[in-house]
Amino acid sequence: MAKRRSTLAVNSPIGGSAKIFTEKNLGLIVSTLVLTEVERNIRNKLADYHLTRFFLLVDRLIILNHIPNQKQIESAKKVIAEKDAPILASAKLAKSQILLTLDQRHFLIPAVERFIKPAQILTPKMFFAEKDRV
Amino acid sequence: MIKIMNIQNSKIIPISQARAKLGNLLDQTKNDQYFLLTRGGKVKAALVDIDYLEKLQEDLSELYGKTYIDPRLLPLTRKFSDEEIAQWLKDDQL
Repeated sequence: MAKRRSTLAVNSPIGGSAKIFTEKNLGLIVSTLVLTEVERNIRNKLADYHLTRFFLLVDRLIILNHIPNQKQIESAKKVIAEKDAPILASAKLAKSQILLTLDQRHFLIPAVERFIKPAQILTPKMFFAEKDRV
Repeated sequence: MIKIMNIQNSKIIPISQARAKLGNLLDQTKNDQYFLLTRGGKVKAALVDIDYLEKLQEDLSELYGKTYIDPRLLPLTRKFSDEEIAQWLKDDQL
């Protein structure tokens, strides 16, 4: 598989998200905005060991400091719920080949897929299914 | 009784027995080698190399002092609901 760069959303300690980290040919990238959002929620909702695991996983990621401006966020709001617009705008700035997300309801819709093109939006499960097909 | 530690039985010693060989036990507490002291069948204390204990405390302090949260970005983030997290965990299964 060609080396791919992916924006990563990791919210579960096991399953497809965890398996993504075992893929040697993937360049995993994440934005500071995603890290801020995920860590905020881990600290509020999950256990200490999740935070420990989060830090260990982030050590394997390339962190991008791109912060979307208001115009870019407004543009994203046209295709996605307001609360998810900053994350989508941030993902577009990353110029990754694949946007990995578990949020199918908000991200896996045609308008969002058009917005983020040429990047593909996949869940980890879809990613592995596609990899098996190739 | 001891759920999180993977330790040999020989490292678990009743306090009554430990008293008699404390010096010998101290000599054996090097690096991550420690003893658990029990009273009435329950672990009450650990005999740990002081350097190892200090290192653990430093590691913990570093771990919990660490953060990727950028306060400037917090207004752009949102709280995940319990329902969302439950759904994502379900969808993450392969």
